[in-house]
Amino acid sequence: MSRILVPCHVKGTVALQVGDVRTSQGRPGVLVIDVTFPSVAPFELQEITFKNYYTAFLSIRVRQHTSAHTPAKWVTCLRDYCLMPDPHSEEGAQEYVSLFKHQSPSMTFPKWLSHPVPCEQPALLCEGLPDPSRVSSEVQQMWALTEMIRASHTSTRIGRFDVDGCYDLNLLSYT
Amino acid sequence: MLQEESDLSLIIAQIVQKLKGSNLYSQLERQAWASLQRPEIKLESLKEDIKEFFKISGWEKKLQNAVYSELSVFPLPSHPAAPPEHLKEPLVYMRKAQGSWEKRILKSLNSMCTELSIPLARKRPVGEQKELLNKWNEMGTDEPDLSLFRPVYAPKDFLEVLINLRNPNYENGDSLSFRTHLGLIQVPLKVKDIPELKECFVELGLNIGQLGIDDSTQVPPELFENEHVRIGQKVLAEQDSAAAQQYIRQGSPTALRAELWALILNISSQPEDVLYYEQLKTNVIQHDLLVDSLIYKDVKLTASNDDYYFVFEDYLYQKLPQLPQCSAATTLDQSAAIHIEVLLCFSRDTSVLSHFAYNSASPPKSYIRGKLGLEEYAVFYPPNGVIPFHGFSMYVAPLCFLYHEPSKLYQIFREMYVRFFFRLHSISSHPSGIVSLCLLFETLLQTYLPQLFYHLREIGAQPLRISFKWMVRAFSGYLATDQLLLLWDRILGYNSLEILAVLAAAVFAFRAVNLMEVTSLAAAEAVLADLSTLKKT
Repeated sequence: MSRILVPCHVKGTVALQVGDVRTSQGRPGVLVIDVTFPSVAPFELQEITFKNYYTAFLSIRVRQHTSAHTPAKWVTCLRDYCLMPDPHSEEGAQEYVSLFKHQSPSMTFPKWLSHPVPCEQPALLCEGLPDPSRVSSEVQQMWALTEMIRASHTSTRIGRFDVDGCYDLNLLSYT
Repeated sequence: MLQEESDLSLIIAQIVQKLKGSNLYSQLERQAWASLQRPEIKLESLKEDIKEFFKISGWEKKLQNAVYSELSVFPLPSHPAAPPEHLKEPLVYMRKAQGSWEKRILKSLNSMCTELSIPLARKRPVGEQKELLNKWNEMGTDEPDLSLFRPVYAPKDFLEVLINLRNPNYENGDSLSFRTHLGLIQVPLKVKDIPELKECFVELGLNIGQLGIDDSTQVPPELFENEHVRIGQKVLAEQDSAAAQQYIRQGSPTALRAELWALILNISSQPEDVLYYEQLKTNVIQHDLLVDSLIYKDVKLTASNDDYYFVFEDYLYQKLPQLPQCSAATTLDQSAAIHIEVLLCFSRDTSVLSHFAYNSASPPKSYIRGKLGLEEYAVFYPPNGVIPFHGFSMYVAPLCFLYHEPSKLYQIFREMYVRFFFRLHSISSHPSGIVSLCLLFETLLQTYLPQLFYHLREIGAQPLRISFKWMVRAFSGYLATDQLLLLWDRILGYNSLEILAVLAAAVFAFRAVNLMEVTSLAAAEAVLADLSTLKKT
């Protein structure tokens, strides 16, 4: 099954705080980011990827329409997911994060986001280590993810540092 | 596929990719082909039979050691969306700081070239090459005037940069408050506290035997030492890297140390390695580099330092009591020659470039003369991308006492550098990086010796200003050699440099009474000047 990027519009952050924003001295600890999906047919959301910048905990809420008659409802998919184990230190502060549909039991995307096909059962977590032969066959599929590694230099260096025998250098370059 | 499984597959894919280019891979292939002759290998159960053969013949163990080595050295693959710079250093402000620092170093080196009218690199004329080859073993004994050369930077310059590191997203406030750090380091990296350190370094607990304490003359060897040596011999017989790493946490017996370190670092001197080293020597003879003069100068400066001679002389007398006095001096001169040889070869070794994938630093770039800006003439300088600083040669010094065969000594040094030492002079957020070590040191001191810390601050003797140089050189040249080797045992055993910060704090604790009485930075430095009598365990 192929995966595609879903175009979305990410709005600017809005601070959640009590009182008048202009006169209040305090800095709010909670910010809200709205994400909308303009003119997209219903899809099955697999993964959300983003780069963190000093957010400690993340909650995701989704607004869903159940039918034409009832008003739209907000549903919490994820509550206080920890991105920074110690918010006063740098751990996790600028990490790349992916949230998957199957990641944890509390993480459920509402059915309305799915295609009209039967929902897949989440794979059972194996006890202990996965079966080696199964893993090695799946390595083939994962090869796409190692593009980055393959594109870089191979492990063994040839050892040449000169260009056609010449290594006459005057100055170092700043770029 | 679940996240954990996909992570594991990615790690496996990465390790397979790396090992595919290695000597071990070709050896395994050859062995597998050769094994087909053996009667126990049957066609119908080929895969299982070959796997069994590898297990019995010890090849599986070699492969395990290689995989273990990769896991120890390379960081786990990061998120697929993360660019290569993220693997080098995840925090943007640290990357920028490292970039600025590097630019300063490049400018400094360029100024030196321009002022002295010396090129960065040139090919030696044939006559000069012959001369160098003849004088190879006397390297360092008679050198041209090095007075005009100055080190590119000293540790204290680097410390100033670290002190000025700031996280733009961190609100520190102008006045002293609970949010400002009392020490010099102002970035909020996560460091372990004592309970976490105790958990991590559990084998260093008081109720567990240690070499360096429990093998002293007053303690009967049956209590700990004999058994520990016996286990060490068994570990070596098994040739198991992971077991060796676990074992060495309690220290290594002197007789077994060289082999144990080689096993942990997964170094086995193959003919290819000796040939590779000879090739590096050829490169040294063919091309003259400006950094060579910096290396000569550094070895000379540190070797002529009385303290250096003292710690090594002492070691020689202890371990080789039959050595007459003049031989000690010759041995040290020879040691200086080996030093220089290893460092010159290190500068030519392009295989070191691969460690920049996980080092926040980047190799300096240059262009062949007359071809500025043309990418096909772009090269790295020096070939290994590492510019030595004042004191750099001290990373090699202790190893000269363990390894006498130059190519093996070289391999060990190179592996120690790309696993550990590079972290001591690059700006990164890694737990074993110098910034974290500095913060760990300051935090430990503040938490457990608050009076001492406050007192030293008040008299203008910030503790880090004294301990920084110890940590940057991994205590080489500051501790007595046998103590230093016991310390480096633990660095290998725990695959971490955090022990350097813990030791630095312990030194202050040990001399706390004297330090409380000093009234100036100079006096504080004097109290801590001679660490050679300390038994580090």
